[in-house]
Amino acid sequence: MSSTFAGTSESFLRKGRRMLPPVVRGLFWAAIGFFVVNTLVSQALDRTPFAPYVTKVSVTFGWAAATCGWLLGLGAWELVVRPYFGKPVEWEVPNDWRRYFMMSLDHKVVGLQYMVSSVSGFFIAGLAAMLMRLELMNSSLWTFPTPNAYLSTVGIHGTIMMFSFGTVMLVSGFGNYLIPLMIGSNSSAFPRVSAISQWLLPAGIITVALSPILGTWTTGWRGYAPLAEQDPNGIVFYYLGVFAMTLSSLLVSINLTATILFKRAKGLTWNRIPMYAWGILAASLLNIIWIPEIEMTFILALVSNVASLPLFAQIGTPLTYMEVFWLFGHPEVYIVVVPAFALWQEFLPVMGQKTLFGRAWGVLGLVFVMMFSGLVWAHHMFTNMRDDQMLPFSFFTEMISIPTGFAFLTSIGTVWKSKLRLTTPTLLVFMSMFNFLIGGVTGVMLADPVINLQAHDTFFVVGHFHYTIIGAMVFTFMAAAYYWLPKFSGRMYSEFWGKVGAIWVFVAFNCAFGQFLLIGLRGMNRWVPVYPPYLRNMNFEISLFAFLLGLGFLFNLVHIVWMWRYGKPAKANPWNAKTLEWQSTAMPGETNFNPPPEVLTGFYDYSDEQPVWKPESPVEVS
Amino acid sequence: MLDLVLFTIAWIVGSVLLEWLFHALNQYGTYFYTASSQAVDGEHAVAFILTILAPVIAFVVVMLIYNFIRFRARAGDTNLRSRHQFRTNKLFIGVWVLVSIGLNLLFFVHPSASALEQMFNSEQARLNRQDLEVDVVARQWQWFFSYPQYGISSAQDANGNATLYLPVNRNVKFVLRSYDPWHTYDPYIGVIHGFWIPAFGLKQDIIPGETRYMYVHTSKVTSYDVNPMVRVQCTEVCGPGHPYMEAPVHVVSAGDFQTWVKKQLKLQSD
Repeated sequence: MSSTFAGTSESFLRKGRRMLPPVVRGLFWAAIGFFVVNTLVSQALDRTPFAPYVTKVSVTFGWAAATCGWLLGLGAWELVVRPYFGKPVEWEVPNDWRRYFMMSLDHKVVGLQYMVSSVSGFFIAGLAAMLMRLELMNSSLWTFPTPNAYLSTVGIHGTIMMFSFGTVMLVSGFGNYLIPLMIGSNSSAFPRVSAISQWLLPAGIITVALSPILGTWTTGWRGYAPLAEQDPNGIVFYYLGVFAMTLSSLLVSINLTATILFKRAKGLTWNRIPMYAWGILAASLLNIIWIPEIEMTFILALVSNVASLPLFAQIGTPLTYMEVFWLFGHPEVYIVVVPAFALWQEFLPVMGQKTLFGRAWGVLGLVFVMMFSGLVWAHHMFTNMRDDQMLPFSFFTEMISIPTGFAFLTSIGTVWKSKLRLTTPTLLVFMSMFNFLIGGVTGVMLADPVINLQAHDTFFVVGHFHYTIIGAMVFTFMAAAYYWLPKFSGRMYSEFWGKVGAIWVFVAFNCAFGQFLLIGLRGMNRWVPVYPPYLRNMNFEISLFAFLLGLGFLFNLVHIVWMWRYGKPAKANPWNAKTLEWQSTAMPGETNFNPPPEVLTGFYDYSDEQPVWKPESPVEVS
Repeated sequence: MLDLVLFTIAWIVGSVLLEWLFHALNQYGTYFYTASSQAVDGEHAVAFILTILAPVIAFVVVMLIYNFIRFRARAGDTNLRSRHQFRTNKLFIGVWVLVSIGLNLLFFVHPSASALEQMFNSEQARLNRQDLEVDVVARQWQWFFSYPQYGISSAQDANGNATLYLPVNRNVKFVLRSYDPWHTYDPYIGVIHGFWIPAFGLKQDIIPGETRYMYVHTSKVTSYDVNPMVRVQCTEVCGPGHPYMEAPVHVVSAGDFQTWVKKQLKLQSD
């Protein structure tokens, strides 16, 4: 395999330019940017009585400067700014471990960077969840010093989980790595865009995780105004951190959409596009439609907060923030699960070595879920909407279960009479389908306004959305991690320990979140570190299973990391899959396909042995 | 053919088991404790959905288990591929699509639209001429209950904590507002609260700057001391005092209610 990005290191040395390691350089410029701009704003431009060094206003501008410095230091200077002024792109990525600590133009490196950032976010937010469950083991305050501290933890948990893991892992992580490979391309459409966007993610995670430095915030992951306008300054870092993380997703989505539209190999027609690419396309379009909307909302809320405007206060329109938040917020959950649905339909034909059943219905399901998702948002607001709005939103919310069901239709049809290999990914996909079934049934109940008026804002809702997000997305993510581990590392996991890990999280998850549904109906409301004592026993039990679940995730992480390093070497195509990513043995830093492939037929037909692709014949130059 | 027969038998058994489980759950009460006709309606809606969906849930779960066991690749099988390679089955897909559309339309008609119609009816002014009116004011982080028809400006117990007394078998109209009675000049102070009495089976958000209504029909004599679900609880996060924003509820007989009103008026005049 030839190396695309490593060949020029000698000329790099000859020029005699030396620089700090990019991460150090990024941190350095971030610090400089913050101190210069923050000092300028708080001490000169917007001096307030007693001149505190950090104010709401100065920290906002200081943060923006720090983020710019961080990105420029990591490579945006050489990759974007200098070329913009006509200089040649001089950015040498050494072909060793250092490539993971700088901006990289290789989509596989970017994918791995995203996965590591995203999994780090998952465990930071998971730790927050463990602290919450510790607090809830007792009906009075005992882990946290104040309710504010608990509520900040709730907000950090939800925000980091959603914006750095739920919407990121399958789209930006696996998507960046696998989509160009699966469509037979050697790079994504805009490699510099993904190179930059990846480094926004850790910036966003750290911003939100460190928000208590500025002060607590009590609104949870939604940042509800008008409450947010009263919150101490921590809410500023919520807006800024989420802005960084969503911007990261938006940039990736633009890149992946363009990649799927324009970088497909010869012969890869719309009828042959892999299911996962369909899922990523649907989720990316949702990102492109809705992220600008929510970012404008966060900017308005931030301005409203920093400049003390009454936009969402009693004399403004208090419900507007809720409306625009959920206008984005519900499509958001489909950004989370649509790639997971696509992955079921990706893995099951391979594991059963049987032709994908009803492919057109599967694609239709993904696309229609995407299109319906903008019509259901106000079901989050049955408790505060006008009566005449209830029925239409209830209608569309119930109807969205029809295209969702198509993912089950194709999956079930595919495994019927297949030769299903009971591997860890298979097991996890089945578990994921079971969990999403529970999430779906509770969703149909919540779509009913009369039931919703009782269950809204209780742990029933919390249980429902954890069933859809952990149950469907996280379980499918784990299936994907095991399925593609041989692709990423060239090594195989242990089937025994993989299954132990899967069953472990499945049991712990269902025991914990199944009881969420019951305790919600029993009167446990949300966002409370303190609750009536009659709910204590059940909460205590839930917490024990939640700790077990946390340990289960940790166990799977250790297993995967260990096997990445020490697993048995795997074959190039261990599952006997037909999709293109298995036809290339390229590791990060290497060219995917040389010469480029030409696709001859669809990837999901197991009825014959015909080759799916051939190397493209060289183009004749006339 | 054998698979179809075996699966169908398993599916029927699974459906029956699940129906039995849901029936037991509904008998026990999915809302755990109900004290208003609205809560009973909600419980019926849950029961209807669960009863109808039991065979659907059983279908998917039994299908997953059946596929997992029956169609697994056996050890030592040399041929990796399945003999059965089909892309579609018009009958199966057609039934699936029609059933899923049919079920969703059914649920939209009943319980969604039908129960909502009942709720909207209960809010009709002409049907509510004899309602007991309770003005509810939420501020951070406290409830105030006043009874304009009886001249009670702020119902309190002997310790000065807000308390809600309601007569049994009456329509009650809650008038919900969010502001701070002591700082009415501050437009930034009102936030969104949620007015929920778990045993009554419904809740409404309280929006600063708006007046909203909630109607219930009390159906049994009970109180917070009988079941802690008979309490007012704020459900929309409203700051650090949010968990403490609760108040006990007492549903009493008409006579006891009159006694309580007199006591409140006496307390107020002292």
